[in-house]
Amino acid sequence: MAKSAKSTASAGTRDLVTIKGIRNGLVFVLADDASFTDVLTELENKLLGSHQQLLSGSTLSAYIEKGSRELSEDEEKALRYVFAAHGELIVSGLNGPPPLKDWRPKDPYVYKGTLRSGQLIEHDGDVVVIGDVNPGAHIIASGDVFVMGRLRGSAHAGAGGDVLAVVAATYFEPLQVRIAGVVRRSPETYTRAAEMEFAYLEGDQMAVEKMSVLAQHRMRTRSSHAVI
Amino acid sequence: MGEAIVVTSGKGGVGKTTSSANIGTALALLGKKVCLVDTDIGLRNLDVVMGLENRIIFDIVDVALGNCRLEQALIKDKRFDHLVLLPAAQTKDKLALSVDAMQTIIRNLKTQFDYIVIDCPAGIEHGFRVAITGADQAIVVTTPEQAAVRDADRVIGLLEGEKLPPAKLIINRIRPHMVKNGDMLDIDDIVGILSLDLLGIVPDDEHVIKAANQGEPTVIRPDSRASIAYRNIARRILGDSVPLMNLEEDAGFFRRMRKLIGLR
Repeated sequence: MAKSAKSTASAGTRDLVTIKGIRNGLVFVLADDASFTDVLTELENKLLGSHQQLLSGSTLSAYIEKGSRELSEDEEKALRYVFAAHGELIVSGLNGPPPLKDWRPKDPYVYKGTLRSGQLIEHDGDVVVIGDVNPGAHIIASGDVFVMGRLRGSAHAGAGGDVLAVVAATYFEPLQVRIAGVVRRSPETYTRAAEMEFAYLEGDQMAVEKMSVLAQHRMRTRSSHAVI
Repeated sequence: MGEAIVVTSGKGGVGKTTSSANIGTALALLGKKVCLVDTDIGLRNLDVVMGLENRIIFDIVDVALGNCRLEQALIKDKRFDHLVLLPAAQTKDKLALSVDAMQTIIRNLKTQFDYIVIDCPAGIEHGFRVAITGADQAIVVTTPEQAAVRDADRVIGLLEGEKLPPAKLIINRIRPHMVKNGDMLDIDDIVGILSLDLLGIVPDDEHVIKAANQGEPTVIRPDSRASIAYRNIARRILGDSVPLMNLEEDAGFFRRMRKLIGLR
């Protein structure tokens, strides 16, 4: 345990709670060799005190790494109570961060050819279509949807609830676009831009922008994930 | 060894039967041995359009069930040297014709004829599955309407799932003045969506309805635009390169002048 509980205190005393940032949340490493009450106090101090500015207001997953410590039911309750006092943190696990493969980027699915009416692509990850997506065809992806061609069918990005997902197409004229839980259809009088476009979520609203804005969109959405 | 061509569309009423009859007849006029096969069990029409209804004794289901030999069910069209019709059954159930039986029939026909033109029923269910089995090539017929194009797209997707070469497209019943006014889908739009090779375009023509009611395919008389269109299609099937028909009815002096100076 000692190797992951990196010491950050200068006075030589080991931190009883070490906070580490990972891609999709925070890991709280509880020191093994201290009483539970001390650890809990330290945790409260850290969350309320010096580290409060690190929590930028967006919701984060908290993974607690309790090490070899056995938590009694009451202790666990007390621990969860401390986190519950901070609306931004959701306790997602007591056994450290999720195994690496769960949040490694998933392999994209690449389809070459015309996706025709009645055909469906459903994939956990990004979907890339090199060809047209005709009206009546359907794409459902847990990640982004990219169409190198005309998007005239329906596309659902972030099907698992990822509000950061986008739908992009060279010719963006879809029947219907969904991102996470938001559904939109093309306005009747939509004049297509002469360049590639993508749709993304801006709060509850869906917006369509030029491809050059995608990088900015990515940057902005990333920065809202506080990484410590 | 002949070639089996299935004529399909997904949507009903776009002109599968008319196209089958005319393509088959046109191929026969060009000197090929042709067999027309109607697979629309229960709703047979091809015999009516060909004017051979009164000569049906056995049908395709009889052949499939072994009630008669294949040759007994073939109706020879006496107007041509080498055109026969294998009619569908009118009173039997759609499921009476199985995929296996159909394959056997088509394989047999291919040994005797140059071209087997299969008229497919509307829809994408059992009848469609049976009709496309054993075919070497598919022709998809559509009209310049959203619904027909949508259904054609669906059918093309299903055909791609079979081991057929890419289907060929016929756009039927085009009304040039409506296309020009933007009230009808453009040929380029349709080809753009379906991304298939265009086998031919057929203008909307009253002669077709008249001829069908008289029980003779339009192509017999070369005096209508639809007839020329179907003859062109038949020649393209044989591998000739025939330019697409010009649908502009009468160019007129002013339009020609404007075209000349680049105003279109």
